[in-house]
Amino acid sequence: MAFLEVKNIKKSFGKTLVLKDISFTLEKGEVLAIIGSSGSGKTTLLRCINFLETPQKGVISVNGSVLFDDADSSKKKDAEIRKNRLHFGMVFQQFNLFPQYTVFENLILAPKLLAKEKIEQNGEFLGAKSYKEAVESIKTYAEQLLENVGLSEKRDEYPCNLSGGQQQRVAIARALALKPDILCFDEPTSALDPELTGEVLNVIKSLKSSESTMIVVTHEISFARDVADKIIFMADGVIEEEGTPQQVIENPQSPRTQAFLSRFNQYSD
Amino acid sequence: MDQYWSVTQQLLAGFGENCLLFGVTLLFALPLGLLISLGSMSRFKPLKAVCRVFVWIIRGTPLMLQLFVVYYIPPLLSDGSFKFSDRMTAAMIAFIINYAAYFSEIYRGGIEAIPRGQYEAGYVLGMTKSQIFFKVVLLQVVKRIIPPMSNEIITLVKDTSLARVIAVGEILKNAEQFTKQGLIWPIFYTGAFFLLFCGVLTLLFRFIERKLDYYKG
Repeated sequence: MAFLEVKNIKKSFGKTLVLKDISFTLEKGEVLAIIGSSGSGKTTLLRCINFLETPQKGVISVNGSVLFDDADSSKKKDAEIRKNRLHFGMVFQQFNLFPQYTVFENLILAPKLLAKEKIEQNGEFLGAKSYKEAVESIKTYAEQLLENVGLSEKRDEYPCNLSGGQQQRVAIARALALKPDILCFDEPTSALDPELTGEVLNVIKSLKSSESTMIVVTHEISFARDVADKIIFMADGVIEEEGTPQQVIENPQSPRTQAFLSRFNQYSD
Repeated sequence: MDQYWSVTQQLLAGFGENCLLFGVTLLFALPLGLLISLGSMSRFKPLKAVCRVFVWIIRGTPLMLQLFVVYYIPPLLSDGSFKFSDRMTAAMIAFIINYAAYFSEIYRGGIEAIPRGQYEAGYVLGMTKSQIFFKVVLLQVVKRIIPPMSNEIITLVKDTSLARVIAVGEILKNAEQFTKQGLIWPIFYTGAFFLLFCGVLTLLFRFIERKLDYYKG
């Protein structure tokens, strides 16, 4: 059984059918890139996986446990949705850092709240027995994450004093602070100036390891080709083509994929 | 000189009433306004409609009229069996209702100005709705509403003199008493009290704005 299984997802907004029966699987440690024109449903798919949208139909399971199933008619409680969300990390196009907190506070806010709750409930959080102990390890991990994204010296800055690229790197570190099973990126470089996209893409690339599973919705085709193990090309709410980067980008079979990629190639060398 | 001090004392006593009305109105209208704003943003349609109609009526009629309504309508409806023993109480009720309506719109503007992304970032980090409101959204709302709030609160200082229309013994009413003795200047002198009070408030709000100036966004 695959690590992430997404089956028959259907989502419509009013009368507009945005996702028409999407299914795919992802193995642990794999990087999936989702490409396609604007309006093809890429972002909606990612938002369904993160439970920011509720699909009308479909099943989502991680590591064998079903997180969402439309056949399960009982309305999900908030607490359950929250628990399910923790399998996933999400990096947004617009960063969405909390402006009133420093870089470091942005990283530790949610883990601290979670640690407090878990220790009250179960007397334990990721091996820590007391809140104080948990906070120590959260802080150590946050320092390490900041170092990984190359922003240790910005630890006490407010987001408004950072460049877009730096803000997005903080957002990546913040998403990692909760140790999600699968990290999702929703067009992480689309809001950035071209000269800033490189630093963010390099950070994402550096995260690739046998342990980290990632889904990246992107318009950066060459990045997708270099980093992804698997590519999905979406058009009009369906998966038009999927496969390895060699299959989808170097040698696309579908005419729509070919048309999309040729428009892209027109402007790149 | 003696006359000057006795006038000042009289006006100060009146201004005490203005300050009391101001303080009590703030104390109750600030939280009540928040409740009304939450109601007017509710997904429960009837509650939303009630709140919006309420705000429309209160903002759509003069505060002076509302003072008359609060003070005179209950005795008329009860055939005189109910009467405000204290005119100040009636004034407070009218002011609280009026200012709660205005405050609710300021809150609503502040809350609706927070980008969806802030809530979504909280959700994907596993935060609860109340954690998102108190830890993420609230301070941002406060920062956004300080300028319109300070405007409204400064207006409230001066509006308190409207209580005069139901004969609350506030500063302007006291100043008018002196005209019977042929003294007109106390009326103009009242302006100094308002100016001083509003000046202090302006400094206070500027201080709060500066305190919240450490971040942008």
